[in-house]
Amino acid sequence: MADDRKRMFQKDLEIKFTKAHGDNKMEGGEITDKKVTYYRLGVDQNPRKVEMRKAGQEMADKRGLVGYNPMMHCGGIPLGQRALTPSFISGTDIMVESDDLHYVNNAAMQQMWDDIRRTTIVGMDMAHETLEKRLGIEVTPETINHYLEVLNHALPGGAVVQEHMVETHPALVDDCYCKIFTGDDELADEIDDQFLININKQFPEEQAEALKAAIGKTTWQAAHIPTVVSRTTDGAQTSRWMAMQVGMSFIAAYNMCAGEAAVADLSYAAKHAGVISMGDMLPARRARGPNEPGGISFGHMADIIQTSRVDAEDPAHVALEVVGAGCMLYDQIWLGSYMSGGVGFTQYATAAYTNNILDDNIYYNVDYINDKYDGAANKGTDNKVKATMDVVKDIATESTIYGIENYEKYPTALEDHFGGSQRATVLSAAAGSATALATGNGNAGLSGWYLSMYLHKEALGRLGFFGFDLQDQCGAANVFSFQSDEGLPVELRGPNYPNYAMNVGHQGGYAAITSAAHAGRGDAWAVNPLIKVCFADDMLPFDFTAPRKEFGRGALKEFEPAGERSLIIPAK
Amino acid sequence: MAYEAQYYPGATSVAENRRKHMSGKVEKLREVSDDDLTLVLGHRAPGSDYPSTHPPLAEMGEPECSVREMVEATPGAKAGDRVRYVQFVDSMYNAPSTPYFRSYAVAINYRGVDPGTLSGRQVVEARERDMEEVAKFQLETEMTCPALASLRGATVHGHSLRLPEDGIMFDMLDRCRLENGVVIMHKDQVGRAIDKKVDFGKPMSEEEAAKRTTIYRVDNVAFRDDAEVIEWVHTIFEKRTAYGFKPE
Repeated sequence: MADDRKRMFQKDLEIKFTKAHGDNKMEGGEITDKKVTYYRLGVDQNPRKVEMRKAGQEMADKRGLVGYNPMMHCGGIPLGQRALTPSFISGTDIMVESDDLHYVNNAAMQQMWDDIRRTTIVGMDMAHETLEKRLGIEVTPETINHYLEVLNHALPGGAVVQEHMVETHPALVDDCYCKIFTGDDELADEIDDQFLININKQFPEEQAEALKAAIGKTTWQAAHIPTVVSRTTDGAQTSRWMAMQVGMSFIAAYNMCAGEAAVADLSYAAKHAGVISMGDMLPARRARGPNEPGGISFGHMADIIQTSRVDAEDPAHVALEVVGAGCMLYDQIWLGSYMSGGVGFTQYATAAYTNNILDDNIYYNVDYINDKYDGAANKGTDNKVKATMDVVKDIATESTIYGIENYEKYPTALEDHFGGSQRATVLSAAAGSATALATGNGNAGLSGWYLSMYLHKEALGRLGFFGFDLQDQCGAANVFSFQSDEGLPVELRGPNYPNYAMNVGHQGGYAAITSAAHAGRGDAWAVNPLIKVCFADDMLPFDFTAPRKEFGRGALKEFEPAGERSLIIPAK
Repeated sequence: MAYEAQYYPGATSVAENRRKHMSGKVEKLREVSDDDLTLVLGHRAPGSDYPSTHPPLAEMGEPECSVREMVEATPGAKAGDRVRYVQFVDSMYNAPSTPYFRSYAVAINYRGVDPGTLSGRQVVEARERDMEEVAKFQLETEMTCPALASLRGATVHGHSLRLPEDGIMFDMLDRCRLENGVVIMHKDQVGRAIDKKVDFGKPMSEEEAAKRTTIYRVDNVAFRDDAEVIEWVHTIFEKRTAYGFKPE
């Protein structure tokens, strides 16, 4: 099967490596060629580099202090000794410059992280109980609608009960709002459409029923504080900003006394008792509060990404979108900036969501699994194959060897993934996701991931870099151990899990394995139904159903971000 | 019965070559003079003394220590040499060695070495004269083809790239060239120009490289076809997994 198959990356690599781009002289040849001419054209060959060099020169002239100058590279040997080539965003027809996939150069990437960081979920039920039982105030759908109208004035920074207050300019915080959702259809019917995340409308029927059953008659607020606030402060600010404005809104909406003791009860109930952060607080050695990327579990990431509700019949696609989002946030932003700094991590991460190389490997696996295990890679629960060591070995081995052979048969694919860390992520993400798809078991997928690492290392005599290798060679021993600090279900692991804290390129893959296990079963969510529903909201600036396409739009400068400051700076 | 090291499983030429590299019993193919080696390593001028970080051990009056009595110091440690490095890059297009097999070869056959293994490069740190011995061993033997492997301290990019028409692995810093049928190095490990063209001899032919290589490739010896190695990997994987299995 492997040799007959038209590779999904073929067209991308042909355009990337056999067509001229800018002045890189890459016209001609085949993507299977093992030899090529290196013209050593430097940065002059690439339009974006030329633009950047010009900007660097202008900046130096203007400020009187030198800055970006590509001739500083290697003592005067600039980048571009090999051809500088564009890439395609996997699953799309969008061709981008590699530089435009650094998050600094990509507004969509920034906004994805902004939209996660500025989000918190707050329960309403305890607050309502306190109002009714402690204060004797009746709560009805009408009062809830009124409260939400007040809150959507207050949450962005509008005053509600005080005189002579400064307020934020609405045009600077127009991305800030709060909606609610509930598993109670009767209550949902009574809520003004503008305030409701309608589970019945946003999810396929089967998923909607499962979500409503899990959420029951509870009611939750999906609050998104202003992007500009979140960028100026940090993720831990989100729940605090929300808490202050929620408290004020309750007082205003229900005409309460601002000082009586009962309001303290309400404050706790409304502001703190039912708060769900997207990410857990990290230990002191990482020094990050809640809602920072290092605390976002892989299960939460799988739930934040929304492909599962718009393309549920293609669980491989669901996993691939989670790979893209996870690699961007965990690798490019968390490891690449919070934990490390510099620019090197981008290329580790983008390998997993460009040029369809990983996509090809995973869809090959889907065919392999469906042929051998009677459709086990399709969405479903009755079709899954039992998660045994034999199954893990079979799927992960076939997947890994197929991927390795692609690098050998298509030298341009190898050249695209020029670092072992890139290849290791892609090969293991394919093996792990496929095993998870077939078994519906995330830890079986994780087991496949580690076997893939071993096979890769033995086949090629190399793997990733020092620390990367270390973590990948010891990880198998804690896949099925659930002792504290030694093992966890993959859904509950995250970037700060022992051995993952510097695991470059991997974390999007782990999130994908999590996603694959649940999307493969057709589950409506992986870990938290509230998070899944919270992001099922078309009003968010970033489209969480299609993160890879959004990154492409960002690279093409077509993405409209939030939190811009043009209103308060001199016009240009 | 005396124990005989088996080193590595597998019935293919790649597996056999891996065993050879690990055993250290590799064929010598070329001579590299001490001065040429010193030049390309770039740590000191040829003929100069080894810089030291401490006096010779014999002059230091070491404390009583059973480990020191059991383990004889290497020549570099005895002399007080500083720790320096040699770093190789091996092409994935059938270079004879691969990063892990360089590390295994050195760690098994030499003392006082600190190998580091990456995907595109492999570094060994050791006391300077010990490191030079290790470097020379690798450069002079079948572990190295001068066209498909090279010394690169920095800017190592190239192991996975298509080969240029002349077959000399891509090097952004252009440290090696093919001149008159032999590979010369005209820059040191980190790309500083040296005042001599160091001759590393002829490249291996494609056939010879394919015969001597330690990398599996589908167009030579496919990994898929070495069933014994795959079975061994599966065994290691299962044992490591079972070792940590604790469902409670």
